[in-house]
Amino acid sequence: MFVRTEEIDLDLSSFAIEQAEKAGAQYAEARLHSTEYTVCMLKNGQQQPIALGRSSGLGLRVIVDGGLAFSATNILQREQARDLVEETVKKAKALSELLKEKIVFSRERKARRRWQAEEKEKLEDKNFEDMIEVLRELDKIVLERREYIPMRFLEMELSMEKKIVENSQGTRVEGYVPRLFISGFLTGMKEGRMAQKSIEYGGSGGWELLKMLKIRENVEHQSQIIRDIIDRAQKTTPGSYDIITGSEVTGIMAHESVGHPFEADRILGREAAQAGESYLKPSDIGRRIGNEQANISDDPTIPNSYGFYLYDDEGVAARKRRLLANGIVNELLHNRATARAFKTKSNGAARAVSFNREPIVRMANTFVEPGDYSFEELIKEVKHGIFVNSFMEWNIDDVRENQRYVGHESYLIENGEIGNLIINPVIEVTTERLWSSLDARGKQVEFWAATCGKGDPMQGAPVWAGGPNLRFKNMMVKTR
Amino acid sequence: MNKDITKNLTEAVFKKASSLSPDDISVITAYVEDSILRFSNNSVTVVDTSKEATVFLYLTKAGRRAMGATYAVDPSNLDNFVDRLFTSMKFTEKSEEYVPLPKATRIPEARSHYDANIEGLKEKISDQGAAAVNAALAQGAQRVSGAVTATIQAYSIKTSGGVEASDQRSSITINVRAFSSTGSSGHGLSCSASLRNFNAEEAGATAGRFAQESRKTGHWEEGEYDLIMGPTVAANILQMVGYSASAFHVDEGTSFLVNSLGKKVASEEFTLEDCGVIEGGFGGRSFDDEGVPTQRTSIIEKGILRTYLHNSSTAKKYNTSTTGNAGILAPHPWNIVAAPGKMSLETMIAECKKAVYVTNNWYTRYQNYVTGEYSTLPRDATFLIENGSVKYAINGTRISDSIPRQLMNLKGIGKERKWIEWWEVEVPTNTPALLIEKARVTKAQP
Repeated sequence: MFVRTEEIDLDLSSFAIEQAEKAGAQYAEARLHSTEYTVCMLKNGQQQPIALGRSSGLGLRVIVDGGLAFSATNILQREQARDLVEETVKKAKALSELLKEKIVFSRERKARRRWQAEEKEKLEDKNFEDMIEVLRELDKIVLERREYIPMRFLEMELSMEKKIVENSQGTRVEGYVPRLFISGFLTGMKEGRMAQKSIEYGGSGGWELLKMLKIRENVEHQSQIIRDIIDRAQKTTPGSYDIITGSEVTGIMAHESVGHPFEADRILGREAAQAGESYLKPSDIGRRIGNEQANISDDPTIPNSYGFYLYDDEGVAARKRRLLANGIVNELLHNRATARAFKTKSNGAARAVSFNREPIVRMANTFVEPGDYSFEELIKEVKHGIFVNSFMEWNIDDVRENQRYVGHESYLIENGEIGNLIINPVIEVTTERLWSSLDARGKQVEFWAATCGKGDPMQGAPVWAGGPNLRFKNMMVKTR
Repeated sequence: MNKDITKNLTEAVFKKASSLSPDDISVITAYVEDSILRFSNNSVTVVDTSKEATVFLYLTKAGRRAMGATYAVDPSNLDNFVDRLFTSMKFTEKSEEYVPLPKATRIPEARSHYDANIEGLKEKISDQGAAAVNAALAQGAQRVSGAVTATIQAYSIKTSGGVEASDQRSSITINVRAFSSTGSSGHGLSCSASLRNFNAEEAGATAGRFAQESRKTGHWEEGEYDLIMGPTVAANILQMVGYSASAFHVDEGTSFLVNSLGKKVASEEFTLEDCGVIEGGFGGRSFDDEGVPTQRTSIIEKGILRTYLHNSSTAKKYNTSTTGNAGILAPHPWNIVAAPGKMSLETMIAECKKAVYVTNNWYTRYQNYVTGEYSTLPRDATFLIENGSVKYAINGTRISDSIPRQLMNLKGIGKERKWIEWWEVEVPTNTPALLIEKARVTKAQP
């Protein structure tokens, strides 16, 4: 066993809450949060320095007369913790006098529970040798196309996240999530033709994820696709096409154009100067964004998911959220502050990625709900289309209306049959147009791991995004 | 600030590591205090305080290399951390990229990037937020959001190469976004190593003014335009140049400067440096992660790529010397500085027949890092320029181009520079506005 979680003062969270209440806080919440990680990397076959680390400390939030203050430290002696608590309460009090609108949290059921992600083959039993062996095997697969892929980078990270979330309202929840994550960059270059793909595979659980996520098969596929693009992909002809998306593209579309704008803190303007706002207004529950086919959900409780959790970082039980139901705005993502502002209950979307980050509204695993088409049925009905199975470049504006996805593995479809690979078809479309063009959904859902960025200071949260193959009618495609 | 904490931790970890007899040791301890005030809709939303000590450790044995970072800094956890890192090396492979840590050379004391007044700011940070909000409202803005961040950092290093040094730096930044009654928005910021050069009011006023000036919007067509990148946008792109200049990223295939050493990569008016310590800069240190003094490195000089950024390991591969930019794993820039040009913003606008002036951007993503094909989204005030003057603001734009092509197509460089750091610019960057000829601007299918 080479990764150990050393014991820390597990009563420090209770101590901090007691001190905060003594100092005058009406609400106090303490989170002892520790993540151990180990990382191996191969750059062009060369092993890079192995890395291991531990992020651990105490995060504290207090509310005094409607003023909210957050503080964090990893210097965990009680004396320093007490000083920090007093400073935090003082700041919250000072803040309360400047507020136009007081911060109030929704009332939630108190929870006292331990939870953890299922882990069959424990990650703590693995060592760097095991990790390097995995990367060497993947590297070998890429090397089989070495004349096409001269530059390659592969990385494997194992992490184990433990936290205790406790508050002055009687909640104490202890959680544990082990994660396995493999990422990389494959750069194809031959005789002036190029293709590049970033790859990411991850989930929560143990070593069994390697097989479960079909990482070997995926790396093999991506390497071959780079070779095929360089060998034979043809220019894209701009125009109107029906588009079939692969689950990777489906997922990013759902995440960017529905997941983010359904974060209630954005809708309230709290992220305005950083991650931006939303095309939704607070009164938009019930508004139509897409057609009947557009059904998008977020669910933290999916076993083995990269965004897995059963209680959020405010101690609220996690559950599935149906964000867009039959094209209609059904439910937003809430923490306790936004829930109160919307006169509802939190749906457990508060996440903090580290002890020194405030819990904010986040997605977990966002996906388009499956339909009833097989892939063959989706393709069969397309006269003139493109199958965009994966992407590289993408982005979206800060209210989440104007988005762009540039295809990587993309094929022309003619008269119901998949034809040649084509080079980087560009879809640049508004959110309503996108989800109003959705024509049919496949029945097989797949997920892809990603690290989602939000917050100031930045918080990169592990998420899955996915869904089935989708078919969109009459989409404009360009070449840059 | 408790500077002793860094020296004591560094000393303790070095001693423990030495007892295990590795070939190389580098210990760096950082102590960071952050105070953040966030506001939205003209009101404060939260105040954040963090006090953190972090220990970074690099060890080698017989060409095997390991690095680690820990926040668990009490003595027993630290001893355990050092033991684990050392023991872990036996599972690794001997690396051809191994180079012994450099021997000590004199590290000049850096005085220019620490201001005790920032440490003394404490609760007064809310005055800075209020000044920005009020300045934006005075320009006619209806609602204002943003964040003020005051940071002080202390570092100390000890290496088996004989380096022992410490440094401290400070910064204060504000990022403000103002919205007008029509929903148009403007962005302003101020970033400084010292309180004296920080101006929250001006940042707020700029955001408010842009929000007002972009109220009137009009039609535009997808196509090729000259592009005026305000300093905030230029900083986002130049940060990508700094990233691409890292020899690690060149080898990794995440750089558009692959195979470009000694070649023309930009207009000959363009010069770009990285500076470890520079007046006004708040991103650097006097030493890098290998204990090498940081320096001023000319990355691009009059359009020619002079060097990549190196640590000892990448320098060996490229048969050159380290540039003092370690990162044990990857060399990285500290403060990116573009040389000023001769044009005022007004002259840039006046010289353009058909252009887009972008004041802020976000979400820059590549189709291919090696070709530099990318797109980014202008946000906040974006203006259409026709026949030398601003016609009106435009919405829904996207720059869909290639960074190497844009660097070659630089037609004008502003004479006034600004330090930029915010959500989309992680490396402090000092840059003027840039005028680029013929960039592609696209829009979404409605």
